[in-house]
Amino acid sequence: MSDEVGSAAETEADSEPVDESPTLYERWRQIHDNESTVAALTILGVALAPFVLVTLPTQLGLPSEYSWYHNLLTLTLIWGIFALGYDLLLGFTGLLSFGHAIFWGTSAYAAGIFSANVTGSPLAMILVGTLTAVLMAWIIGWISLRRGGIYFAILTLAFGQMIYYIFLSPLGDITGGENGFTGVQVGSLFGVVDLGRAVPFVPEAFVDSWMYVFVGAAMILSVVVGYRILNSPYGAVLRAIRENEQRAEFVGLNVWRYKLMAFILSGAFAGLAGSLYVIQRSFVPIENTLNWTVSGDIVVITVLGGVGSLFGPVFGAGLYMYVANIVSGMPVIGEFWHMILGIVFIAVVATMPHGIWGRVDWLRDRVADAIGGDER
Amino acid sequence: MSLVGELVVLLVNGLQTGAIYVLLAIGLSIILGTLKFVNFAHGALYVVGAYIGLLITQQISIANGQLAEWGFPTLGLGWGFIAALVIVPPIVFVVGLAMERFVARPFYDRPDTDQILVTFGLAIVVQELIHALIGPRSYTYDIPSEIAGGIPFSGPVGVPLSAVTIDVWRVWVIAITATLVIAVYAIVEYTDFGLVVKAGTRDPEMVRLLGIRITRPYLVMFGIGAGLAGVAGVVGAPLSNINPEIGMTILVPAFLTVVIGGVGSIRGAVLGGTLIGMVQVTLISLGTVSLGSLSINFTPWAQVGIYALAVVVLLTRPQGLLGSEEVTA
Amino acid sequence: MTAILETRDLVKEFGGLVATDHVNLTIEEGELVSLIGPNGAGKSTLINLITRMLEETEGEIFFEGDPITDLEPHEVVQRGIGKSFQTASIFPELTVEENANIASFGAEHGSFRFNFLKHRSSYPAVQQRTLDTLEAVGLRSQKDTTAADLPYGDKRRLEIGIALASEPALLLMDEPTAGMSPEETQSTVELIEDLQEEMDLTILLVEHDMEIVFSVSDRIAVLNRGSIIAEGPPDEVQGDPSVQEAYLGGVEL
Ligand SMILES: Nc1ncnc2c1ncn2[C@@H]1O[C@H](COP(=O)(O)OP(=O)(O)O)[C@@H](O)[C@H]1O
Ligand SMILES: [Mg+2]
Repeated sequence: MSDEVGSAAETEADSEPVDESPTLYERWRQIHDNESTVAALTILGVALAPFVLVTLPTQLGLPSEYSWYHNLLTLTLIWGIFALGYDLLLGFTGLLSFGHAIFWGTSAYAAGIFSANVTGSPLAMILVGTLTAVLMAWIIGWISLRRGGIYFAILTLAFGQMIYYIFLSPLGDITGGENGFTGVQVGSLFGVVDLGRAVPFVPEAFVDSWMYVFVGAAMILSVVVGYRILNSPYGAVLRAIRENEQRAEFVGLNVWRYKLMAFILSGAFAGLAGSLYVIQRSFVPIENTLNWTVSGDIVVITVLGGVGSLFGPVFGAGLYMYVANIVSGMPVIGEFWHMILGIVFIAVVATMPHGIWGRVDWLRDRVADAIGGDER
Repeated sequence: MSLVGELVVLLVNGLQTGAIYVLLAIGLSIILGTLKFVNFAHGALYVVGAYIGLLITQQISIANGQLAEWGFPTLGLGWGFIAALVIVPPIVFVVGLAMERFVARPFYDRPDTDQILVTFGLAIVVQELIHALIGPRSYTYDIPSEIAGGIPFSGPVGVPLSAVTIDVWRVWVIAITATLVIAVYAIVEYTDFGLVVKAGTRDPEMVRLLGIRITRPYLVMFGIGAGLAGVAGVVGAPLSNINPEIGMTILVPAFLTVVIGGVGSIRGAVLGGTLIGMVQVTLISLGTVSLGSLSINFTPWAQVGIYALAVVVLLTRPQGLLGSEEVTA
Repeated sequence: MTAILETRDLVKEFGGLVATDHVNLTIEEGELVSLIGPNGAGKSTLINLITRMLEETEGEIFFEGDPITDLEPHEVVQRGIGKSFQTASIFPELTVEENANIASFGAEHGSFRFNFLKHRSSYPAVQQRTLDTLEAVGLRSQKDTTAADLPYGDKRRLEIGIALASEPALLLMDEPTAGMSPEETQSTVELIEDLQEEMDLTILLVEHDMEIVFSVSDRIAVLNRGSIIAEGPPDEVQGDPSVQEAYLGGVEL
């Protein structure tokens, strides 16, 4: 999957003649950066993940407590969507938000409360949740983006706390306060498909339930939309703002509105993810939705995985979920999992501007260069 | 209880709550104003102060921490609270210097976002280290009864009122904070060392241009700011529970204090902290107010009120109440 | 001739300091006007007022006859005022071509659009302008280079290219040759002159190098402590005793 996605347009627009016989690697490089390839690779990845990560390791004799399980994989995809949207803001626009729990959390509450009172249709829940997140992002972005740079991080953090406390107590009658919202009623998809059921004709070794298919589809959609955004004029403009905001203003771009749009778009991804989270859990726990730790987790996930790429954040989500849920149960280091992640996080911030995935990608390019010759 | 009595209690509680924010905000504000460095690990200094103080004051039993498993079911010196009060600030001062040297300084030339990220990472590490070693449970300080008690307060002569009690320790916190703030203010206003710091707040660009050597005063300021955060940890501890998460939760109001007061301004920090403290405590004490058939319970809004205050200040006076207009170009 | 830019009694105060003091400056279409003055005279402040980076304390600014004091910086750019910065202001981690591409989007699409799902290559006019821009500043062959890796002179050229991509009617240049070697300065000056001729540009130039100023300017305005103390063709200004007194401290030019 593409990393500096921006190169795609330029490669295509390039009018200079391509030299005689492209090597295998060059040809790979070309198809690599195109929408249907990206979509196909994502589909492949989503389809094979359960088998490769859940089934295979157990078959090979890995103790089952150290292996992935289906629900964790679904959860990873949900956080992957969240992280992908977050990276639009942090990696591509250069804005560090410490309040993204707001969008994940309010969408979760909106979807949950909507399901209890109107309809439990998963698609309707997603629509309501995402729209709520968009609205919240619009309001909070509008205020927080008035002050640049460091204030943005502080203000989004403060808004996060504010919303948390509002949902915790003043709105406690509606939200369930510290117990969370327990009345979630997830219905069936299109009125026929129960998401908890197994998928007929597909062995459980591959897909355990419709839920995974549903979340997987959302993931594929997110990647495609994310890819589109990055290859649209926005992709260029947002990176320009990240690189040199003043210059971007002085080529005549309304930097403030583009930043607000980036914030809203990333809020929309967070809203989609938050709605999916509620659909999966049938419950809205306040500590896992609006608490500032969620805002912190998405920062850690995205930076660890790698900012500035589509796949890095998703990789980060997988890494984080595995460490938080599996490694944390291991003897000795288990107790220190969070601290170790913190140390790795500092190391990544200090030395790997494109995260761990950036390193993987760099290594892969090195290997490919060695195989494909020195054509680049 | 009488109205006057209640107002006095309110004032003491509000000022004391604000005092903790002020102690935290001064360091944050000066570093932000001069070095343009955002320290998300400032709350970690508060936690470190609180826990070191705890271990100096008393012996604690460790329930869920690794230390218990490694053969330290109890830990602590048991020297008492006064000892903690004296020992903690210099320790955290040194911790602050180390933080400046090994975490902040390598990042002065990096983008703001990297500075925030790395200090945020440090805050996580500190929090989780304590979490793993000592455990997630909350502790409270054993403090001597003469400072833990209340003093009966009776009103001005001629105003008949039933006495209310005021926590002595809260008054102490206000007094200690006031003394320290005046001391720091005097240093910044009246010494050569402070002059450089002040000049830097006015013109951060100049400080950058002059290079890191001239910034030694800021390193000391960093240490002093850290020391104050440590003081906040110890003096605030007897009034609240100590657990690994308090650092992150206190960071937000501390930042708001800076934003409301105005970056780089000590007087602003005092004003901001006092305002936040008063708003918070007033909303809590108001409780349920009935206006005819309409009754509103303000207590749950106490935490929300301070954010609302910050938003209002920000929208009407973006540079903060006592901050100077931002230097652009 | 018609005035393209006019400032009327423009005042900017920073705290107690008066950075520009009732400045009345008129620039005619097609002129190259140089703004000179000692350090701290208020030259950059004046430029920043025109671009709306700074809010004026008093006074008015007219561009092509319309007041622009209520506009945002990007709106001013859209009206036709470009700016080249004191330090090479580019997008360092993007390629040279991407740099020009972004400027072209700003020029072709206005300040904002909702086109976040449309592919960049589906805007041929933008792509064309990108190439034209690179051609104009002679950086076509380096289009795939990361901008940060360019030599300083080329960065400045790229910067000028970005400023010109929107084909501004008026270009403000704040010390375009600062930090350049003599050769780089020479080629930049030639570039400025060529561009002015080719693109019908009006230029307001802030420059320290007097040799350049006196050779390229149609008119020179001298700013001292925020006030314009002299204004006119180069030879007139050169001979003005008050300029020599205030600005050059009596030293012969
Ligand atoms: N953003 C600002 N805040 C405060 N003072 C400023 C600011 N910008 C410029 N000044 C002051 O205004 C005066 C004019 O500065 P400037 O316009 O940069 O001068 P020049 O470009 O002619 O060297 C100087 O005294 C400078 O210190
Ligand atoms: Mg200047």
